[in-house]
Amino acid sequence: MTAASVVARRRALDAVAPWARRNGWTLGLVGFLGLLLVYTKLIQPSYDSSGIQGLAIGVLPLALAAVAQAVVVMSGGIDLSIGSMMAFTSVVCATMMKGQSQEFAVVVVLGVLVLGIVLGAVNGALVVLTKVPDIVVTLAMSFVWAGCALLVRAAPGGAAAEWLRNLVLGSFISEWIPKSAIVLIVIVAVIWIPVSRSRMGLSIYAIGSNRLAAFRSGIPVGRTKLFAYALTGLYAALAGLSLTASTGIGTPVPGPYTLMSVAAVVLGGVSLAGGRGGLFGPIVAVVVLQVIRTDMTFLSIDSNYAYVAQGLILVGVLMVGSFALMRRSRA
Amino acid sequence: MVRNGIGRRLGALAAVAVIAAGCSSSTGTTGPSGPKTFTIGYSNGGSVGNGFREEQVCTAKAQVKMYPEITNLTVIHRNTDAAGQLSDIRDLIAKNVNAIVFNPNDPDALNPALEEAAAKGIVTVSVDAYVTDPHTWNLYNNQIKYAELGAKWLFDQMGGTGTVWYTRGLAGHPADSDRDIGFQTVLKQYPNIKVVPSNSGVFTGWDPATTTNLTNDFISSGQYDKIQGIWASGMGKQIVDAIKAANKPFVPIVDADIGGFVSQLLDPTNFPGLKGAAVTNTASVGGAGVTMALKLLKGETITQSAGAGRPNTVLLDPVLLDNTTDAGKAALKAWQSVPGLDQLWPLSLSIQGWTTYDPNTVPASCKGA
Repeated sequence: MTAASVVARRRALDAVAPWARRNGWTLGLVGFLGLLLVYTKLIQPSYDSSGIQGLAIGVLPLALAAVAQAVVVMSGGIDLSIGSMMAFTSVVCATMMKGQSQEFAVVVVLGVLVLGIVLGAVNGALVVLTKVPDIVVTLAMSFVWAGCALLVRAAPGGAAAEWLRNLVLGSFISEWIPKSAIVLIVIVAVIWIPVSRSRMGLSIYAIGSNRLAAFRSGIPVGRTKLFAYALTGLYAALAGLSLTASTGIGTPVPGPYTLMSVAAVVLGGVSLAGGRGGLFGPIVAVVVLQVIRTDMTFLSIDSNYAYVAQGLILVGVLMVGSFALMRRSRA
Repeated sequence: MVRNGIGRRLGALAAVAVIAAGCSSSTGTTGPSGPKTFTIGYSNGGSVGNGFREEQVCTAKAQVKMYPEITNLTVIHRNTDAAGQLSDIRDLIAKNVNAIVFNPNDPDALNPALEEAAAKGIVTVSVDAYVTDPHTWNLYNNQIKYAELGAKWLFDQMGGTGTVWYTRGLAGHPADSDRDIGFQTVLKQYPNIKVVPSNSGVFTGWDPATTTNLTNDFISSGQYDKIQGIWASGMGKQIVDAIKAANKPFVPIVDADIGGFVSQLLDPTNFPGLKGAAVTNTASVGGAGVTMALKLLKGETITQSAGAGRPNTVLLDPVLLDNTTDAGKAALKAWQSVPGLDQLWPLSLSIQGWTTYDPNTVPASCKGA
């Protein structure tokens, strides 16, 4: 081994080691997911690429909801209206696409994304202007957005453009790479990488970590919070679009997405106190929760136990988290 | 922390995909060709706790026990949306069951997963409502006839003249829409019958609390005093209770064969002067769906209902019984034969030719898997 290669290896190690330390929780979660998939294969030997495709389609709306929640939680807030925003954007999309051309559907998708940003910005503006706690404002707004969804459509229906449906169905290049997984990675990367590398991205972490310190360092706290909520609205709209894409309809009554998103954020290593965490952890957490549900089906266990298991995992994670926090503060 | 790591994290996500790929490299080959035993998956994607849905799942469990060739029944019974039910059905496909029986959350939304099931040779049966997937068989109660039978009985009781309070179910639900078609058809034949609050009726959402509130409002506003009949869509018990609580005289009412409502019809001491009829809306479609799936797996021919308006469909015809004659009362009493049945559950527990279990075993079969 030459000296140069040793240096190169050390450099690589130096680069990876701090990252691994910081992301220990997420790496552990990835490891757990790996074990879970091995276990799945053991109890259901026929679990194959079509199973992975089904998993990816099922995960997509949940993962986008989790990403939406993660953004606002990192800024020190929480959004309990994500499920309602998803229902609202999904019914608007399905209603407007019914009977329209494939080209018009592109306009609809762009319009729905703008709608999501507006909904999120309204949430954020109310939080910033009224100074009422985030949890109260967004809980109240969840009823407003759910009501709007029912005004658009009283019952499930509408349609989705063919290209939108094909975007999430099936696989890409290899049958082991589901299209919906690619869509998820692209959506998250295209929006989050530029944002997180910008001043605004840093500000989101800063106001979540210590609002007062951020304010004193000259960060516009109100504007940053508004931006974080608008970004959450955008991801919620993408989650709503993914619902319409996978089902071909819009459903006005919100699904169980809000609480699942909070669960995934906690399990994904994002601190509910704000300022810590990333988007990768919550996505892995959603996959873990979904695989647990699938395994319960394979084992013929009552599906309602999946909720119990998810709740217990959350309590466990929160306990471990606060224990670690206590030790750190003592040290 | 913010500025680095995104690329690596995406790399790690790719690694997960590789791990996933690596640990599941073989493809399933166990198809339905050949095995003499079968496994069945059951998906109910909503209204957990609703009497009809609970009874439906229990009848499926009871019917499976009648077939030794069915070695396993996997039930996914939870409240979710169409996207969630899609994922449940895909889980059942991944489990390699031979047939999937399900109560659909939507007529169109489940089609992608149903196509995937058909491609794997899995038989799919939709119960309680239809789906538009061409490979799937549908088995459900004839809701148009349900409404027609009840409306005709009610309008005849009223002597063909007067005002009817038209209380419906859940807006947009296929069963509710079909019932409206039946109601409107009969209404056209009785020109002297008026409908309140309007010809399109009022929605209870099939929710007991909503129904009680609606009825209380209807009575306190004085509108109840001006009607001569009530057409109900499964919430008759709550309506009758509210009328009794307000100390008003009863008007003729027609509803489904829910246990609590039939008890009221047979209890002249507590409900004096209550004239009513119950139309069957059997929840045994769950058990019947299992039988249909097994017939399809064995390659038996199934006779389709001609009047269904869609292929691969079997419609179950409802029956009406009333408490205006002694024979009717005796027949209603016979419906109450199963002890321990919940008040909010439909009474008719068997469908000739489709269910073979002893109805008495249904309440107990809810508990086991």
